[in-house]
Amino acid sequence: MQSQRPIFQIQLLGDHAIVYKSNTGQLKGIDQDLLAFTQFVMNEKINGLKDIILAYDTLTLVYDILYFDSNPFLFAHTILEQFNASKKCLNAIENKSIIEIPVCYDLSLGIDLQNAIKASNCSIDELIQQHSDKIYTVYCLGFLPGFAYMGDVPNAIQLPRHPSPRSKVLAGSVGIAGKQTGIYPMNSPGGWQIIGRTPIRIFDPASPSLTLFKAGDQIKFKPIDLASFHTLNAHEDVH
Amino acid sequence: MSIKIIKKGISDRIIDAGRYGFQHLGIQPSGPMDYLSAQLANTILDNDLNHPVFELHFPASVFEFEETMFICICGANFVPVINDKSVALNTPIKVNPTDQLSFLQPIEGRSCYLGFKGNLDESKKWLNSFSSFQTTLNKGDHFVIHKVTEIDISINPFKQHTIQQVQKNVFNEHEIRFIPGPAWNDLAPASIQLLMQEPFRIDAKSNRMGFLFNGPAIHLSAPKDYLSSAVTMGTLQLLPNGQIIVLMADHQTIGGYANLGQIILVDLPRLAQLNNQCPFKLSIINVQTAHQLYRSIQSWFKH
Repeated sequence: MQSQRPIFQIQLLGDHAIVYKSNTGQLKGIDQDLLAFTQFVMNEKINGLKDIILAYDTLTLVYDILYFDSNPFLFAHTILEQFNASKKCLNAIENKSIIEIPVCYDLSLGIDLQNAIKASNCSIDELIQQHSDKIYTVYCLGFLPGFAYMGDVPNAIQLPRHPSPRSKVLAGSVGIAGKQTGIYPMNSPGGWQIIGRTPIRIFDPASPSLTLFKAGDQIKFKPIDLASFHTLNAHEDVH
Repeated sequence: MSIKIIKKGISDRIIDAGRYGFQHLGIQPSGPMDYLSAQLANTILDNDLNHPVFELHFPASVFEFEETMFICICGANFVPVINDKSVALNTPIKVNPTDQLSFLQPIEGRSCYLGFKGNLDESKKWLNSFSSFQTTLNKGDHFVIHKVTEIDISINPFKQHTIQQVQKNVFNEHEIRFIPGPAWNDLAPASIQLLMQEPFRIDAKSNRMGFLFNGPAIHLSAPKDYLSSAVTMGTLQLLPNGQIIVLMADHQTIGGYANLGQIILVDLPRLAQLNNQCPFKLSIINVQTAHQLYRSIQSWFKH
């Protein structure tokens, strides 16, 4: 059993956060042990932990100094040992359902689509198929509330960020930046190449769950036409 | 009872200790730039340390009070006046109906805290916190304050001691101490030397998201890509152009720049209050000492 226990490297993030880093090296989706460990820590509701942030190959715990003894490595190990003892390691990933997101890849919404097909040397239909056939993993949320960094985008349609960001990208816009794809949760400046737009809201400050995604989720995009987009459009720009 | 904004400041907001527990969704804590001065205002007013306060930057908002109430101003000295009469920092002030509070000029510090006695409506909270989320105070904003039992608030020896300690810790010229981070060993040796020896200043383009440092250009031994990971207030990031940025109260939740280290909690208020023209040096500290220092400063707030 010993060999099955996940081993994470433990690092300090200053005096009020610790980082567990998985040693998987090459990223092929999120490390399942790290994901299971994240769920364990969230469920434990440990006093003094202020935030639990999973991002790519790291899990960061932000803590209140006053709740813990002065050696952060020690309590970092203790939490990991509790996890190992809990035997939840390998069967904690219950939620494997794929979240389907409707996206309209119309030229009027995918404002960089024209550029994108030139750069990838393919047709619009091919690009749409490449982008929407794939099941993406949410590696982390950040940049804006609810903004999910998803990957990996197929090689053929990877596009670099714009050299300088646009001053306004509309909420729901679906973009590509290198290996990553993501959806703008709100109107915001942004540098990703916009290839389409989803009519649904992925961040709602008034809803109990706030965001549609969390790290570790599986996402698939479903192409829809412009008429369906307008029918479903839940953004504030709806006429 | 209420407080009204009658003139808009450049970037003022309401804050409490911060909105924690939502960073995994990309929602930043939005706490104070200088938590010590915010806690001090609340201590002087016999409030909980987490009680909401206004955080002001110069030129600051003008406030009008609709009823008699106690307030307290801490942190940066922007020369506060009530109806054109100067008032003191770090002391309880009784204001009367139609009194107007304004701020004349920035003398020392960057962030000023206006505490008040009484409670905001709980419905003003979002995700367990009163902190403004990506908004600032506007002319016409109106904060209803639920009155608490009227007692005279005064300075006692305990508060006197807290005031002295906070002032001493926030407004001085000590080095800014940090704990090296994951990219520290990727720095070119010559850059490490520069970092430890040369003075830095805060760039005018700095804001609540981050302070840019002006100083010698810093480089990695070799270019390197990092996977994004969580960052916190005080994270020292190296930008590709050789400039350092330290993330402040409105930091993003994750970052992908080289993470050189983390300024310790005890020194963040001092950094937050440093004016652009003031040079400062960086130095390294270990986590055990950082924790001891933090415990000792938090003991100032306990009777």
